[in-house]
Formats: sequence, structure tokens, C-alpha cells
Amino acid sequence: MVTTRLDRPAIDAAKKGSADLLILALVEERALHGYEIGQLIESRSGGLLHFTMASLYAALYGLEERHLLKGRWVEKAGQRRRRYYRITEGGRTMLASQRADWSRFMAALSHVAGVKPA
Amino acid sequence: MQAFNFRHEIQRQVAKSGIDLPDATIEELVAHVEDLYAAAVDEGASEAEAREKAVAALDESAFSMLRRHASRNPERLHARRADALARASGGRSLNVMSALRLALRQLLQHPTFGLVTVLVLGLGTGAATTVFTVVDSVILRPLPYAEPDRLVTLWDTNTEKGLRHDPISPVNFMDDRSLPVFKDAAAWWRPSVNLVDPGQDPVRVNTIEVSGNIFEVLGVGPQLGSGFPAGGPLFVQNELICVISDRLWRTRYNADRAIVGRPIVLNGTPYIVAGVMPAKFRYPDDIDVWQRLRWDMTQHSREAHFMEAVARLAPGTTIAQAQSAIDGLTNRLQTQFPVTNKGWGRHLVPLLDEQLGYYRPALMVMFGAVGLLLVIGCLNVASLLLTRALSREKEIAVRVAMGAAPRQLVVQLLAESCVLSVAGAVVGVLAAAASLPLVVRFMPVSIPRLEEASMDLRALGLGLAVIVCTTVFFALVPALVLLKKQLATDLRSGERGSSRGARRIYSFLVVGEVALACALLVASSLLVRTVGQMMNTPTGVDADEVVVSSVQLSGRDYEDWRKVGRVHGAIIDNIRRQPGVIAAGGSNFLPFEVGWRGGFGIEGEPAPPRPEDAPQVQYHSISDGYFESLGSPIAAGRGFAPADEADSAGVVIVNETFASRFFAGQPAVGKVIVSATGAIGPLGLNLVRIRPRPPGVPPPAQPVHTPPTRYEIIGVVQDVRNAPFGQPVEPALYFSTRQFTFREQFVTVRAADRAAAIAAIRTALQQEAPSVPMGAPRTWGERFAARTAEPRLLMTILLFFGGLAALLAALGVYGLFSWSVALRTRELAIRLTLGARPSAVGALVVRQSAVLIGAGLVAGFVIIRLAESVLARVLFGVTASDTTAIAAAGAALLVAALVACIPPALRAMRVDPVEGLRVE
Repeated sequence: MVTTRLDRPAIDAAKKGSADLLILALVEERALHGYEIGQLIESRSGGLLHFTMASLYAALYGLEERHLLKGRWVEKAGQRRRRYYRITEGGRTMLASQRADWSRFMAALSHVAGVKPA
Repeated sequence: MQAFNFRHEIQRQVAKSGIDLPDATIEELVAHVEDLYAAAVDEGASEAEAREKAVAALDESAFSMLRRHASRNPERLHARRADALARASGGRSLNVMSALRLALRQLLQHPTFGLVTVLVLGLGTGAATTVFTVVDSVILRPLPYAEPDRLVTLWDTNTEKGLRHDPISPVNFMDDRSLPVFKDAAAWWRPSVNLVDPGQDPVRVNTIEVSGNIFEVLGVGPQLGSGFPAGGPLFVQNELICVISDRLWRTRYNADRAIVGRPIVLNGTPYIVAGVMPAKFRYPDDIDVWQRLRWDMTQHSREAHFMEAVARLAPGTTIAQAQSAIDGLTNRLQTQFPVTNKGWGRHLVPLLDEQLGYYRPALMVMFGAVGLLLVIGCLNVASLLLTRALSREKEIAVRVAMGAAPRQLVVQLLAESCVLSVAGAVVGVLAAAASLPLVVRFMPVSIPRLEEASMDLRALGLGLAVIVCTTVFFALVPALVLLKKQLATDLRSGERGSSRGARRIYSFLVVGEVALACALLVASSLLVRTVGQMMNTPTGVDADEVVVSSVQLSGRDYEDWRKVGRVHGAIIDNIRRQPGVIAAGGSNFLPFEVGWRGGFGIEGEPAPPRPEDAPQVQYHSISDGYFESLGSPIAAGRGFAPADEADSAGVVIVNETFASRFFAGQPAVGKVIVSATGAIGPLGLNLVRIRPRPPGVPPPAQPVHTPPTRYEIIGVVQDVRNAPFGQPVEPALYFSTRQFTFREQFVTVRAADRAAAIAAIRTALQQEAPSVPMGAPRTWGERFAARTAEPRLLMTILLFFGGLAALLAALGVYGLFSWSVALRTRELAIRLTLGARPSAVGALVVRQSAVLIGAGLVAGFVIIRLAESVLARVLFGVTASDTTAIAAAGAALLVAALVACIPPALRAMRVDPVEGLRVE
């Protein structure tokens, strides 16, 4: 699939900039652990967006360091201990501003390059 | 589950990328990979396919991306190092040296925690070592005399008059001395002595005139010269010799060895120096000259109580036997000489107790206080360590899971607490060594033998004992909690398993801290009350700024008593003329000092059958203007006037106690009293009484029975305190210094400021009596403060200790409840979910802390109760069960502790039910 191959660099670049947005948007609804976050990104993007373990956790730890997320070890009956991430107040603010930026960006892409939202 | 070990695979891959990830991150990655694997299996993949998928996820990851997040948490790093070491040493025992090395590294990685702990311990140990060193050298070391525990001092008691510790009469002393329970006994009194040497300023020297056997009784000889002849008489009238102190020898005579055998002039009379005492010899206290007694003690009066005495018990005699023998003697004397001896008994006090006086119980109280403070510090550090141990629970669980034996953990905990204790003790001993010279130098009161205080092996032993106890204690508390948990629960059981045991230990620590702090606070508030009572004791004077100095007119220039009276009068008149002086006066006794006691009669009332049967009152000699200068109001009649001369009619002023006791309901002014007292020691002479004698003729050595002399009462002065704290004011007669003259007089000067007063005294002395030295000038306020200096010092120290203890206890309470609220988040969340109001949850926390604080307070009161007998000896006007003091201290501590539990209570009220339930 030539088109896909040609598309890849564009998606990779967008992915890099959008990782924070994706993660924050997912944990906005409820606290999630790392594996769930990775799976949700992949399934909701129809397999288009995929993070390696290292890049996923690098993004998570980066967000946590900036106090946009908070991780906490939780143990549930019959399950192993997992680290759940939930959004902080700072994270919500950041998410709102990123959403606004991205929609302006998408609108610009649409006007200039004729890119239509799917 | 999967046979493949993902953890090893992840650790391999991470290591390959050259970074070192924290255990928590590794665990998170393992969970992720295991989820991947499980999901693949669920979707129908074979185990091999699922594993391949999981490994692929690892392979595609560039773990170097996580470099920024590598090994951030030093605790985890430390744990890995410990376990690596444990594995390296065969996975069994942890080498002691490596345990210590690890502990040291651990301490350096948590500098704040380490610093706080070491400081708390260091200050506690330092304070304890300093106080111990002082207690050791002042109380525990034997006095520098031969067989010091066989030495006792003799004091008069009189229950009727409320006297427990009064000077004795020389005649009674001679009777005491003849008892076989004493090997020997010496007695002395304290004249004021001017030392005049050619070419040097005249000075006042602290002197005792003492029986010739004093150095034999003590078993100490001079460093130079032969001293008083051994086995010689108690007194020699004509051969005047003295022994001087090492200090006087060095400062005044440049340590000239030829001083022995030479005369020095004391109060105008030459005394041959017979010896120089060793440098450390200070008996009975700061004495510079020991004059040999020159009069016969049997020929004095049984009613004159002005001598001090020390006796050596006969071999084999106990102090109780000696006391009972002397009780028998005083009973006989009371029957034999009822007028002079009725009610008077004798009390033996071991020499060391006597020398230390207030300081012995005070130092014991201080030692107890500093000990309590050290224990509180230790309890606090133990709580800190416990909290930290609990926060390290997971680390330790991981290590146990990785094969570390419980023994290794205990060794590691011991090593950590050992490092803390040793560091604390080193800081403490260094602090003590540094502060001890400062304590000795800047001590505001003079504690006997304090200057001998020095750190020695015993003090270092105390430091060592602190190290051993704290090491074991600090290691055992967390070890007990953690190991109990290790046995009872597994790695994943959460934190609730250990919380109950830990909570119990923690509560115990808090109750202990509160109890000890309570004891310290009660003790300090008792001292505050004591000082308050002393300060509020009515003195009868309003003279804080009045400058007091003493002037003694003695020697060849002042053999004529009329001249003595005249010059004293001229000095005071001269002072009044100096600039800035508002009022000036003089007296032979200052407030709080007990005057000479003598008998008197009332004219017109039947005289007692024998002159000695007359009632005894205090005799004072004051100048005109004295009461005015001290601000003591005349309640009736008038004060002395310059017209009340030696040649005019006898006049006297009485105090209110005198007036009410002897003239109840009638005006005292205008009444006439009669007195047979002609001379008081070598110091004072009743000029009215000896009026027939021509001027220049010395008074007789013995009182001669001549008809008593009349004195008209011209005034009544409001009571000026003439007894120490705690004793009632005695009836007193105030004679005019012009009619009843004393060689030594305190001048009291009220002036615009202190400097003006001092300058006035100095100028007046230079002009009226140039050869007479001026005593050290001090304000009455300073003199009064010095009388309360000891309890005030103790109060200050105890307040400081008590405040510190309360702060530590409040921190302990805060720590316990913060931790406990954090642990009980789930329980609190359930309560809130079930409808409990946040205020009720907050109240629950406060109630639980109130119970602990209450238990601590009760325990503190029990400690005070146990220490009651020691405390009673440093208190005045209050008892150890004083409710005001106890209530104040209890309330202060209760408030501090409850304030400390407010933040955790607020936190408990703000628990989010949903969040709280999810956490667990």
C-alpha cells in the first residue's frame, strides 16, 4: 500500500505532538492503567495509532512529572497490582487548551490543504 | 501462567539499553507485558504465539527513552543495592560492615531526615551529658576533705519562731562540742574586714574569725606555712594570726612565698600570716582570710545566735546517733536555761547537703528534667523511624520476596539506628564539651564546686549508654512492626495488616511523650508559682533603684565610738549634698536580714525576775533618712532627726509587728522601753548606755550589768521584712545609729540614676573617710533578685525544657494522627458513604487523640506525684500538688496537642468517599 507508506511520516509526526492530548483525553473519563491506555488508543484509532511500551510510559511519566496526571498503585480483588493514572486539575486545563489548539489546527488544515475530518 | 519470565526479559532489555529503572517502573512494565500476553491468549493464540507477541512489544521499545525516569527514587536504589549485596554474600547473612555502609548511604540520601534525627538526639544527649557532668562534679564527687561523709554542720532550730536553719550561740556550741559523739568541732562568725596594705588600695575581704581547730576538723593543711598550730587552743587573745586564700595570695601579694610570717592589717590590727591554703580550698565558702578566734566562746551569751559550726563525727557514730545525743543535750539546756534556750534545738546537716543547699535538689530536678527531655527526644525519633519504616514496608516486602532473611533486615535496621545513634551521641558529647565551659563561666548564680566540672570517662560512659539504648530501641520498634507483618501477611496484602500493631506502638509513644512533657510543664509551672510567690512576698520597701553599698569604720582611726557615729553621720550628710541624690540613709541590716536579737522591757510594767527572762526582739541601728530612702512609710509618729544625738534622750522606732504584739490596741508612740543591751559583739556599741564613760575609753570586753536605759518610742514603721522567705516578720526595735553605733553600715542612696548614686558614695567617702574602702555597690533590686536567683534560674531552665518537650509531644501527636488518617482513608470513606457527616468524622479523630492526650496527662501527673518529695525541696509557697500549676500545665499541653491533631482531623473530613474506596 503505497499511500499508507507515503502517509506514515506525517502520522508519526502528528503522533508525537498529540500523545499528551490522546492520553489526557482518555484518562479524563476515568482512571486507567498503562496497558488499557495503550489498547484504547490503538482500538479507537482503528489500529492507526500505536505507541511502543517505552514511548507510552515515557509520555505517561512525563505527564506525571508535569503534574498533569497522577499515578497510584491500586490493588483489586483477584487482580495483580496496577498503576492507575487519573487526570489532575492541571491536566484538565491543559487538555481543554490542547483541544482548542487542535481544532483550530484541523480547521486550518481543512481550509488550506482541503483535509476533511473523517 | 506463562512459563516465560517477563521480569527477567524486561530487566535484560532495560540493562541492554544502558539504564537502571526503578523497581516500580519494572513492575509496571511487567504488568503491561503480562496483560498483553493474557489478552493474546484470550484471543485464542497459543502460549508460544502470545509470548512472541509480548516479546515483540518489548523488542520494538527503545527503553533508552525512559532514561529520564531511571532510578529517580533513591530508596528503591538503596533496596536494590542492599539486596545485591545480600546476594553477593551468599544470600544469607549481611556483612556488618556492608550493613553499616548501606546505612550511612541511606542517611546521606535522606539528609533532612538524618539531620533532624541527629540534631534531636545530639541536643538531648548534649544537654543530658552537660547536666550529668555538673551533677557529677557538684554532687556525686566527694568533698576535698578527709572522710567528708563524717562531717556535719550544726544549726539552731526554734519551732515556736518558725526557724529551721539559724546560726548558733557560741556558748551552746561549746556544750555541743563536749559531746562524745563528735571527734571535734569548729565554729566561726563572719566579721566584715577591711584589708589595708601600704601602697595598695584598701579592700574588703571575705573573712571568718574561726576557732583554731578548723583545719584539723576538716583534715586539710595549708599549701604554704604551718597554719594554725595543730592541737593548739581554740582561741588566743594576744597572738593574732591568720591564714589567707590562694586567690588573695596571688592577686594581692603576687604569690610571694615570704608572706608567711609577715603581718597584714585587718581592720587596723596586724595579724601574722601563718599559712596559705591550697587553691581549691574554699571553706565555708568564698573566704579569703581565716582569722584565728581571739575570744572565749564560753564567755559569750546563750541568746546571741550568730555562729556557724562544723563537726567531725566520732569514729563509729552515725549522724542519727549524733542527732539524738544533741537532742538530749538541748533538752537539758532548755530546762537549765529556760530564758535563753527555751524552744531552741539543734539540727545536724551533712556537710555536702549544707554546702549545696538549694542546688542539690535543684540539680536533681534538672537532671530528672533533662533525662525526661532525652527520653522524649528518643520517643520522637522512634516515631519518625517507625513512620519511615512503614513507608518502606513495600521495599522490605520486595526484599523479603527476593530472598532476604528477616535476620538480615534486623541487622540492616540495627545498622541504620546505630549510625543515627552514634552520630547523635558524637554531636551530643561535642556539644556538651563545648557548652560546659560556657555553662561554668556564665552561670548567673554561684554553685559550689561548679568550677571543678569537667568532662570525664563517666560522662563519656553516659554517652555510650545513650548510644547502646537508643540503637536497640530505634531498631527494635520498627523491626517488631515490620517483622510481625512479614510473618503475618504476604507481599500484596496492602497496608492494613501492620497498621494495628504499629498503631498500638505509636499510641504508646505518643502517650509517653505527652506524659513526660506534662511532668516537665507541671514542674516548670510550679517553679513559676514559686518565683511568683517570692516576688509577691511583701518586703515593706519600694527601692528597686536604690543603690546599696557597705562602709565599715574600723582600725586605729576609729577607736573612739563617738567618732564612728559622727563619721557615719557625716558620710550620709555628704552623700545627700552630692548632685542627683534624692535621699540617703544607713542601716546595719538590709531587708530580709535578721537583726541581732536582744531582750527589752516596757517601762511601767513589772520586770521579769531575771534580766534574761525579758522578751527577745530584733535590734537594728539606722540613720535618719533610712526609711525615706527605702520608701518605707512611717505609720505613726516620726522618724529620726539630726537632733537625736548621742547625748540627747534615748529614742527608738518600732515596727508594726512590735507595736501590735506588745501594745495591742494602744498607741505605741510615747511609750518607753528599757534595754540592758550595751554592746553587740565587736561591731556595735550602745552610746546611750555607756554615756557615763568618758570619750576614748574602750568598752569593756564583757557586758557589765548596769541599770537599763530608757528609750522613748517616737515612731512606728510599716513592717520591713526582717526574716528570710517563708518566715514571719519578727518584732524589731530600730535604734538611731547616733545612739547605738555599729562599725559597719549599709548606705542606701536614692538618686536620679545609678551612676549618680555610686559617684555620690565614692565622693563622700573620699572626703569624709579616705582610708575606708567602699563595698561593691548594687541596687536593692539586684540584691533582691539575687535572693530569688536560684529558683528563677531553675524556673527558666525548666520552662525551656518544658516548652521543648511540649513542642516535641505536639509534633508526635501530629505525626501519629496524620499517619493514622492516611491509613484509615478507606474506613473514613465508608463512614462518609454511609452518611456520616464530615464533622462527625473530624470529631472522631479529635476524640481519639483526646483519649491519648488524656492518658498522657494522667501519666504525667503520676510522675509528678512520684517526684513530689524532691520537688518540695525546690518550691516555696506552693506544694507539688498545687492545682493552679497542674491545671495551667495540663491545659497548655492539652491545647498544644489538640491543635496538633486539627490538621489531620481536617484531612479526615475532606476524604473523598469515591477516591477513598478506590485507593484500597
